[in-house]
Amino acid sequence: MRYVTTIGEREYLIEILSDGQVAVDGVVYNVDFESLSGQPVHSLLVDNHSYEGSVYPVEEGWQVLLRGTLYMVQVEDEREKRLRASLGSGPADYGEYHLKAPMPGLIVAIPVNEGQEVAKGDVVVILESMKMQNELKSPRAGKIARLRIKPGDSVEQRATLLSVV
Amino acid sequence: MFNKVLIANRGEIAVRIIRACRELGMQTVAVYSEADRQALHVRLSDEAYYLGPAPARDSYLRGDKIIAIAMESGAGGVHPGYGFLAERADFAQACQDAGLVFIGPKPSSIAAMGDKAVARATVAASGVPVVPGTEGEGSLLDEELLSLAPKIGFPLLIKATAGGGGKGMREVQALDEMAGLLQAARREAEAAFGDGNVYLEKLVEGARHIEFQILADNHGNVVHLGERECSLQRRHQKLLEECPSPFVGDDDELRQLMGSVAVRAAQAVDYVNAGTIEFLVDKDKNFFFLEMNTRLQVEHPVTEIVTGFDIVKEQIRIARGRQMRHTQEDIQLSGWAIDCRINAEDPYNQFLPSTGIISHMILPTGPGVRVDTGVYPGFEISPYYDSLISKLIVSGETRGEAILRMRRALEEYKIIGVRTNIPFHQRLMDSHRFMGGQYDTRFVEERFSLEAAEEGKGSLEDIAAILATLVAHQQTQRAAHIIQRGERGTSNWKWVGRWERMHR
Repeated sequence: MRYVTTIGEREYLIEILSDGQVAVDGVVYNVDFESLSGQPVHSLLVDNHSYEGSVYPVEEGWQVLLRGTLYMVQVEDEREKRLRASLGSGPADYGEYHLKAPMPGLIVAIPVNEGQEVAKGDVVVILESMKMQNELKSPRAGKIARLRIKPGDSVEQRATLLSVV
Repeated sequence: MFNKVLIANRGEIAVRIIRACRELGMQTVAVYSEADRQALHVRLSDEAYYLGPAPARDSYLRGDKIIAIAMESGAGGVHPGYGFLAERADFAQACQDAGLVFIGPKPSSIAAMGDKAVARATVAASGVPVVPGTEGEGSLLDEELLSLAPKIGFPLLIKATAGGGGKGMREVQALDEMAGLLQAARREAEAAFGDGNVYLEKLVEGARHIEFQILADNHGNVVHLGERECSLQRRHQKLLEECPSPFVGDDDELRQLMGSVAVRAAQAVDYVNAGTIEFLVDKDKNFFFLEMNTRLQVEHPVTEIVTGFDIVKEQIRIARGRQMRHTQEDIQLSGWAIDCRINAEDPYNQFLPSTGIISHMILPTGPGVRVDTGVYPGFEISPYYDSLISKLIVSGETRGEAILRMRRALEEYKIIGVRTNIPFHQRLMDSHRFMGGQYDTRFVEERFSLEAAEEGKGSLEDIAAILATLVAHQQTQRAAHIIQRGERGTSNWKWVGRWERMHR
């Protein structure tokens, strides 16, 4: 399988070959890859150099935490990449965005009203959790729709709070 | 005297206190909320009693229930830890009234230090320097504040009397801009707290937050155990502490001077047991009393390492009426200690708290490493209490050795299941300003960024790319086995549509 893997501006062409080999931009490496006790922690040996990293799936791709640095990585096979190129924009810029509670907590305030226009980065909900008040921001410009909460509500993790259309 | 201690707290500090009691051969009584039945402090204690539902006001803040449990279990002493009931004079008084020993100061000392204006007036009267300001004067009109301002000197801060968290706070550089800023500060304070009263305080520039640990027994002996450097903060939350302070460093004269002032401040309120005097120190080594914490501090272990004292055991001995075995001359600082607070917060997402079950954890070990924690794999980090998971404390002969050891320990520390601020600490250890000890209380918020610190470091981007690709590939291979065309009995398109609607 051939993948186009992107970190920031840099693209890597990575081909998974058989028997523990990958080619990165045409250079072949011997790799040994193990998931540790069923956890998202992986041990990786690349030409006998040992690395350990955590890999988390997120909406925008994969987060890799390696020696204290977080890398945001997109992995696409060639067909996916062509598809995305023809769409020409990131997922946050079209369609509806549903703001979900990143953690369980208490709704302290909602500084916006239904139908209100918001800009990218505007605070839309203040959620209290672990004794801290956290500002949740709109990831894009749009109009507030389907406000499902009111101040004083307790919400579960991943509960949808409102939509930006 | 008592031989059984009730610990009116949870988390790492409850575990810390249980350990001290064990070493003194004392029995321990834990209390727990609905969310904490499986918590480590319950597992480690001799007895455990259910308090109430998870929210703190229904459990760990129920002083009446806690006292009833102490009576029922026959515990003679109550250790409040930090937070919750630790600085509540009424709780300390209620313990006393019930015939229990409160392991901490007298209720009157807690009350005197709890009110900022009273605390300032009390210590100022005994000759301790305080940050010049108008807080003790009560509510003043704009004209009065404007006429007092030049006496305090510029730059100064306008602060909300009811305030906190920087709301209603304004920095004033000169008199001519002050009238406008006063209006703005009052408006903001009124909106945030429903109280537009403000006061003035001199702005200490390049301020460092340095605190002194003190111990006082019932026989009139008061000693200090040197200082702790606590300037690394974010939103007024401490993130890292070290002992000694790199700013005080070799200046033993300054240390002894500040220490003796701290002792005097404690004596001014007739203090007993362990306490901490916080100072602001400017770049010219002028220092000002900020406040006194009338309890055990989160960061007490760095002092324990450098002085060799076990502060929690000392607290219990003092509460049992023993005289301290050490005089000020016996107390020597040796080596260096650093404490990183490991919080369940995502440093890459505005430090938002992270909750969930810790699925996997590897603790750092080896020479010079101490971990104080209240969690274990399988334990759930709930949203009800603060986000401190553990304290990672390292020691070294020198500050340099301690920093290198902390780097090593942070790399070993693996916590899976919740996001932690470990990467933040790792970046901090690489920061040149931190290594040089060149930081003040604004450093983290104004001059430190995770991204900037990452530049110029040997990048492992290609390794990250390989790792993510391998994981993605593995997932695709598995998915291909699970979902095959038509197996669902309904169109995959329809199924995906329904699934998406469900997750809105």
